[in-house]
Order: sequence, then C-alpha cells, then structure tokens
Amino acid sequence: MNPLAERPSEFDELLQSLLGRCAAADSIALQRLYELVSPILFACVTRILRRRALAEEALQDVFISIWQQAGQFTAARGRPMAWMMSIARYRAIDLMRRERFAPMLVAQPPEHRASDAEPESEGSSAAWLPSAELMQRCLALLSDQQTHCLELAFVEGQSHENIARLMDSPLGTVKSWIRRGLRSLRQCLES
Amino acid sequence: MKPDNPEVIDRLAAEYALGTLRGPARRRFERWRASTPFVDQRCRFWEERLMHLAKGLTPVQPPAHVWPAILRRLNLTTRQPVLRRIRSFALAASVLLVVGVAALVYWRSLPAIRATAVATISAKSGEHVWELEVFGKENRLVAHAAKLPARLPGSDYELWALPKGAAPVSLGILPAAGASSRPLTAIQKQALALSSQVAVSIEPLGGSPTGQPTGTIVYVAPLRAPS
Repeated sequence: MNPLAERPSEFDELLQSLLGRCAAADSIALQRLYELVSPILFACVTRILRRRALAEEALQDVFISIWQQAGQFTAARGRPMAWMMSIARYRAIDLMRRERFAPMLVAQPPEHRASDAEPESEGSSAAWLPSAELMQRCLALLSDQQTHCLELAFVEGQSHENIARLMDSPLGTVKSWIRRGLRSLRQCLES
Repeated sequence: MKPDNPEVIDRLAAEYALGTLRGPARRRFERWRASTPFVDQRCRFWEERLMHLAKGLTPVQPPAHVWPAILRRLNLTTRQPVLRRIRSFALAASVLLVVGVAALVYWRSLPAIRATAVATISAKSGEHVWELEVFGKENRLVAHAAKLPARLPGSDYELWALPKGAAPVSLGILPAAGASSRPLTAIQKQALALSSQVAVSIEPLGGSPTGQPTGTIVYVAPLRAPS
C-alpha cells in the first residue's frame, strides 16, 4: 500500500473541518461546503439522472443528508470527498429506482476517461488525492472493456443490462468483465 | 443468508460502491453495512478507490435556486451580523481562492480529450442544425442537436460518412434533441478518415433498411479539423 494514501491533504482537512462545523449546526460551514463541492456533486448526479429537475432534487437531498449526517463523519471513516460523492451517487441511484426509469441507452460525451490519465506525481497539483497514482497504475492494468464497463456503471449509473446493450455484448460477458476488473483492481491496490 | 466469506463480502461491497448491485439486494446490503463494521470498511475502501473513475467529470454549477431551497428545507439561515460577515467574507475569499484554484487545477489537470474532427450541419438559412464531434482516439462520435427543422412523422435523420471512391457508410441516427454519443466501429472510423464530407438523409424510423441512403439527402457538410 502506498504510504501516502493515508495522509490527508489540505483539501481533505478543510472539508473535514467544515463537516465538523456542520455537525455543530454552523450553517455558514454548510454554505462554504456547498460552494466548494456542489459543482462536482451536481455533475455527478446530473450524469446519472440525465434530468435537470431530478438532479436538482438529488443535490438538495445530498446536502440535507450531509448536514444531518456530518456528525457521523470522522477522518477515520475515509476521505470526505469520497463520503460526499457516495451520498450523491447513491441518492441518484435511489431516485432512478423511485422514478422507475433507466438511464438513456446513450453514453455521455467523453470528457476525460479516468483510465487515460497520466499517473500523478507526488508533487503534482492532484496530490491531495495521494492514492491516485496507485489507482491510475492499477486501472491501466485493466482491459479496455473492463475499464469501460466500470466507467459506465460508476459515472453514468448504468445497470449490467444497459451496459450489455451499450457495448453490444452478452450480459454474462459484461458481468464477467466487471467482476474480473474489480478483482484485478483489488489485487493491484492491496499488493 | 449473509455470506461470511471475506472474498464474497468484498465482491458485494465493490458492486455496491460501483452501483451495479441493484434492487432488493442493494437495500439488504445497505442494512447489513449499517450494522457490520467489516462490511462498512470494505465499502469505504471501494468508494475511495472507485472515485477516481469520476475524474473526467466536468464540474457543473448548480442553478442559483438550489441553495435557497436547501436552506428552506433545513429551516436554516446563513445571515450574520454585518461586521462578522465582512470578516468572514475576507477570510472565506482567500480560502476559497486557494482551494478553488487547487480544486479547479485538480479536475482540469489531466489531459483533456479533444475532438479530432468536427462538422457543423447548417440549414440554408445558416442556422446550425447539428454539431458533430469525432473523437478518433476514443472511437466515438458525439452529435449535438441545435435547431431542428420539422420532421416528417415516422422518419429519422440518418448521418452518413462519404468516403472518397466508396459507398456512403452510415454513422447512425441523429438525435432529435440534446446530444448523443455513440462508439464508432472500425468501418465507420475508416470511412470517416477517407471522408471530407458527411451527409444527412431522411430515412424510415430506425434508419435506412438497406444500409445505404434511401431517402432525400437534406444536408451535406464538410468535416474539418477542430479550431
């Protein structure tokens, strides 16, 4: 394991501090948090839900959850950005279920594929996510199909069935790509 | 029955974090996570690692009415005494500047994907109808619908590559609204590489039944390098 992976960055510490203040019912801290992270969380839920009004509802729900659950977050629970992004993604997935719709069978325009990224150096601007270098190295070990499946599921909220249709591949093959991709990632990340 | 094999728990945690664990299984897993520290720990492991898959997301500023709606739902206010507000503003501005720049640099620091060819399909009036972007490296074609003319019922607009010295090659149905993004096959990619123009024909719903244009060619546009 990369020893740097467990070192919180300044950005992590700022987010942790704001979450701590939210837990103490400081609404100004929630506003600062909103200013800092709402654009990426809104992009995240919009990408999954594809409906502007529903994405706005999801974002409201996310910040209400953050406010209500801030007291449960501690640095020992991991990185605050991962915690908040999980709240956002899971809320979007729940809303998809509630609204009984599946994401459109159209992949979004490629902005940037995580797997294409160059590994980040320790001193780079992205060093506030220190485990990124290791993760990029591990992602690079996956096949194109495995990476594409993981991206469609994680970023776009696509189900196994939709991924199979989008990739024009049998469902069993897609499930196998995902399962093996995740297994390879785990082996690489924990080696 | 809940599995007690760590490998199985880890696999379920990974699929949960990825989002492919769905339906009642997802609900059961969430309850299990809430009561089982090991399951929670494996979920957090995956949530942190898989977050890197979202690096390509471009931040989107939410509409201005979302924040007041959150405050209303929480019955909160962010008003402060004037002096404290000024002091807070100065402090926040400096912190936000540093963090905002760092966050922006982070999300933008990775190499951007650029289109390798673009085309603007315009009506005779000059109004843009579709904007096309070809991402050669990613084998992907993105079409943005702009202002579409009225469409005949039961018809679709189909896009064609016009390779020199060869028959047109279908690039698929164009979106009636919004954007579409579709992977390019090797044949489509090759046809685009040999084309200096693309064309749009009116076809039956779902596209040409023959693999060649059967309806009127309504637009032809040059493919060009992105500016």
